[in-house]
Amino acid sequence: MNVDTTVPMELSAEAFDAFLANRDNPGWLQDLRREAWAAYEQMAWPARNSEEWSRTDIRLFDVEKYPVMPSAAAAASVEPQLNQGVELAGQSISSNGISSLVELKEKWQQQGVVFGSLEKLAADHAELIQAHLMTRAMDKQYDRFAALHAACWSGGHFVYIPRGVVVDEPFHLVSSLSDGQADLGHTLCILEEGAEATVLTETVSEQVTDTGMHCGGVELLVAPGAHLRYVNLQNWGTGVWHFAHHHAVVEQDATLQWTVASMGSRLAKVNQHVALAGKGARAQVNGVLFTEEKQHMSYHTLQHHCAPYGQSDFLYKAALQDRSRTVWRGMIKVEEGAQQTDGYQRNDNLLLSDGARADSIPGLEIEADDVRCTHGSTTGRVDEELLFYAQCRGFTRTEAMRAIVTGFFQQIFDRVTIESVRNALGDAIAQRVRNYS
Amino acid sequence: MSEFVKVAQVDDLPDPGKVILPVDDRLVVLIRQGQEFYCIDDVCTHDGGTLGDGELVDCQLSCPRHGAKFDIRTGEALTMPATENTLAHEVKVDGTDVLVRLSED
Repeated sequence: MNVDTTVPMELSAEAFDAFLANRDNPGWLQDLRREAWAAYEQMAWPARNSEEWSRTDIRLFDVEKYPVMPSAAAAASVEPQLNQGVELAGQSISSNGISSLVELKEKWQQQGVVFGSLEKLAADHAELIQAHLMTRAMDKQYDRFAALHAACWSGGHFVYIPRGVVVDEPFHLVSSLSDGQADLGHTLCILEEGAEATVLTETVSEQVTDTGMHCGGVELLVAPGAHLRYVNLQNWGTGVWHFAHHHAVVEQDATLQWTVASMGSRLAKVNQHVALAGKGARAQVNGVLFTEEKQHMSYHTLQHHCAPYGQSDFLYKAALQDRSRTVWRGMIKVEEGAQQTDGYQRNDNLLLSDGARADSIPGLEIEADDVRCTHGSTTGRVDEELLFYAQCRGFTRTEAMRAIVTGFFQQIFDRVTIESVRNALGDAIAQRVRNYS
Repeated sequence: MSEFVKVAQVDDLPDPGKVILPVDDRLVVLIRQGQEFYCIDDVCTHDGGTLGDGELVDCQLSCPRHGAKFDIRTGEALTMPATENTLAHEVKVDGTDVLVRLSED
């Protein structure tokens, strides 16, 4: 693919035309991009007085500071964590919005698995991608970020598992950023009927304090009887603006286990929607948020029960230190015909400092009359008596604090069955916990 | 302690009046009342929303959403629902320039 380094950072119609002209995209994809660009131009950035954005201030965000339309910057040099000690089925790496490496074991190729850069595969596998890309899950006109993403996404990752194929080794997807760069990667995972796969994704900056921008999208399409385990570790630099739309559609008797760990970024605003679209669909979402300094993370989750006998279980746990802030707004929505739904959502917040703040807003919207839907939320400080007890048993205060914070997240670690993920999360959290008196 | 940063010209500020400005990656409300200048964080400590669009009466700035009032001289929270002070910053005038020095969190 030709990438013209003269494409300006200004987001004008001319720049968009130049961006399109430099891409080797099929006609249908160019049409999709143009439609989204038209929406982007007509929309305004989200208003501060809208309920969804009232707690998340993006007035200092300037999209034109970042090369949304990717330049040929040198590939970022990062050290992924989730693949440590893991035998992988395949690996796809995208750097600054450009695919830089794809590997897939031959035995999976022979079984019909299609894997690699979404943008590169869009031309050769239109029959697999066109019908699903931003059509069934993600609404490309949901807001201006979604429209920008749909118009200007690049690189990205694609995972396709054919009917009945069980891939017993994980796929590893990495999106990396250099300082000041932008990533608008899109991840599309399609599991056909009865397929099984595990996908480990990481978004990571070169340095802890790097700046940048991510405006991304994830779509997970899980066909009847299929089983997907999806892990996403967000570890951008602390100067990165992170905007994302994450969507899953889980069909009849299919299961999705989705683990989200969010550690990095300056500000993160994520919409995570899971549609339980088929009878007996099941989804479990495990969320780990750890914030520090002045980080702001805003997660808006939707458990959308569209069919009967669906089960959803969302658990988000956040630990906050310094003057950081989280906003968690969860909704269980049950459509009229989705009887016998079993929906649960919970958000626990552990405040490690006086200046941290957690807003937790669970909600229910139920149209059916024979369901069980419950939610819970807790916010509190570390119990001084626990610290005192641990110190009496020989722990230093810092060790005690680390043990208590690790214990707080243990409920989620217990639900994550992949050892490399548990280790990466545990290490990242333990490194961050500081001592507060 | 950060340094004083030039943020505006005296004549650019309405009198009495206020403007919201970015200073060193944070948003502040700069208020002018005659030859007196004040600066506080553009943050209502009740819900984290913006203060700058609120009503200013004497030395009290009201949050436009839930009515919490803050003292523009000190950042002190004066009424419910805010219970924590917002941050006040030092302001000085140098000729025609208005300079702000951000306080530490």
